[in-house]
Amino acid sequence: MADASIPEERIVGPQTADDDVLRVEHIKKSFGPISALRDVNLHLRKGEVLGLLGDNGAGKSTLIKILSGFQKQDAGTMWLKGQPYAPKSVLDARAHGIDTVYQDLALIDQLTVYNNLFLRRELVKKPIPFLSNREMRKRARAALEETGIDIPRLDVPVARLSGGQRQAIAVARTISGDADVILLDEPLAAMGAKEGALILDLIARLKKEGRVSIIMILHNYVHVFQACDRVSLIQDGVISLDKPTTETSVDELNDIVVEEYRRARLAAQSGNGASAGAGQAGGTPA
Amino acid sequence: MAVADSTPPAEAPPQGPAKGWARRGGALSWGQRFLTLREGSIIVITVVTFVYFAASVPHFLTGSGLKALLPYFAPFAILAAGEVFVMINAEIDLSVGAVYLFAPFVFYKLNVNAGLPLVPAMIGALIAAMLVGLFNGLVVSVVGISSFVTTLGTLFTLSGLTLIISHATQVTTPGTSVVKVGTFAQIFGGGTYSELFWAIGIAIVLQLVLSFTRWGIYTVAVGGNRLGASEAGVRTKVVLTRNFVLCALLAGFVGIMEAVRAATTTPDPSGANVILFQAISAAVIGGTLLQGGSGTVIGAFIGAIFLGVLQDGLNLKGVSANYFYFYLGLAILIAMAFNTYVSRVRTGSGRG
Repeated sequence: MADASIPEERIVGPQTADDDVLRVEHIKKSFGPISALRDVNLHLRKGEVLGLLGDNGAGKSTLIKILSGFQKQDAGTMWLKGQPYAPKSVLDARAHGIDTVYQDLALIDQLTVYNNLFLRRELVKKPIPFLSNREMRKRARAALEETGIDIPRLDVPVARLSGGQRQAIAVARTISGDADVILLDEPLAAMGAKEGALILDLIARLKKEGRVSIIMILHNYVHVFQACDRVSLIQDGVISLDKPTTETSVDELNDIVVEEYRRARLAAQSGNGASAGAGQAGGTPA
Repeated sequence: MAVADSTPPAEAPPQGPAKGWARRGGALSWGQRFLTLREGSIIVITVVTFVYFAASVPHFLTGSGLKALLPYFAPFAILAAGEVFVMINAEIDLSVGAVYLFAPFVFYKLNVNAGLPLVPAMIGALIAAMLVGLFNGLVVSVVGISSFVTTLGTLFTLSGLTLIISHATQVTTPGTSVVKVGTFAQIFGGGTYSELFWAIGIAIVLQLVLSFTRWGIYTVAVGGNRLGASEAGVRTKVVLTRNFVLCALLAGFVGIMEAVRAATTTPDPSGANVILFQAISAAVIGGTLLQGGSGTVIGAFIGAIFLGVLQDGLNLKGVSANYFYFYLGLAILIAMAFNTYVSRVRTGSGRG
């Protein structure tokens, strides 16, 4: 009988490397009746850039949210730098060195650029805990300059900025912290070619420095081969491919995705056929 | 959405309808900048109203005339300050009138029935008020019931409870006496300028909290983008609950001061609801948007002054009280229309 899900033999099982910073095994997560992640195994080596590919609804963002401490998995284990990792909150994850750029950017429209950059790590004066706005503005300017992101004014609400600028701020906020594992949920969405190249250059530079390890959700295969060391394909709640980018190609990734799409469609059709047949006195499924 | 030029001039003119203003530059763009100050419009309206009454009502500008103005605005300035924090969170607290009614009876009970001295009794009453706020905040943030419904429930429950414990009878407020106003009463509502000083002090402190502390930043963040704030690590439940507690504390405090000022504590739920609506009016007229993310305590303070000037002026003019609500309603509508426009210009987002 045809099954709509990925065949067992294609599911990537637990894997490890000696220099893993992050490893997750058998992660499951459901939302009510919908199973978002069925059995996810993933590892991230030190200094590596891992590209996470997959169709909409495949479970990419859910995985990122679990890794970042925003949601909790139903089952499965995670290790960070060899220690069991079970973040209680986003702050807890950040304290462990994992920080995230969310797909919706998590920017506050009404707050200024520098307040957004320092959200939840504000600098305050002593003894009265007033915000050191001047200091924050200065450091924000420095951080943005370092990343090469051009934001003319830092004291305007971010609502005034373009989509690309907002995205750049969200990325800058995360990389200017002291995280050593950075998760990026579609950092190149809403970006023009120029701004996108800027973010990619930034990631290339971080990689060269070797300080941080990165998991990045991407849609564009070209970007994956440009920026990533390794690529994982997430399909239907499981990882169905895990290869260094040097050992695969745009064609192979395309083939897998198309093949999976055809197989799922076929399974759906035969599933319909089967139920129709069952209606007619137990006919054999196609 | 238009992609902004990468290097706009240092003083980027707001987008949209601002084009004509910017072209003429100079005085007009200064004028626009003043009006797009969140409080700009209400300052203008308040000054115009004040000047009108000063010119048309003989006793309005005299010392006693202005003193008569105080009770019409000081309590609302304090209540509205608390309401501003809740409203910036994109929530609303309808129970402030009920807390305002409830706290002085707790104060009375603790002093007269439990025998506590005045100050501990008042502190006890304020704690009771804060517990109401804590309840509101937890129900809204943890259980997830809308604040409108939650605080509507608290409003009736607490008004009923007040009637029950007071047996619907008026009592003499502890610490007050017709013969002599004692120190306690002088400080907490009985002195002529007592409420004014409290209102100014509270407004300044809370505006500082709102503008210059993490509490303020997180309040704006939770109201502006709740999901985003929590993704960034802001503990939204704590922020929400804290603001409900603050709002209830201020409501209890004003309730006690007003009871001391009047020397009697009256269990009148309908009066308390008028208090509620005027507090929200002051906040709204002062530029606080109900959809959250923006608002100022200073604006609400000026909004309260506007309410006071309007009410006192109409009183002295001998105009029927009915006109007060008529003008109040118009003022809210105009202020809201203006605020929506202002926030559009400020953010340049091209929407409300």
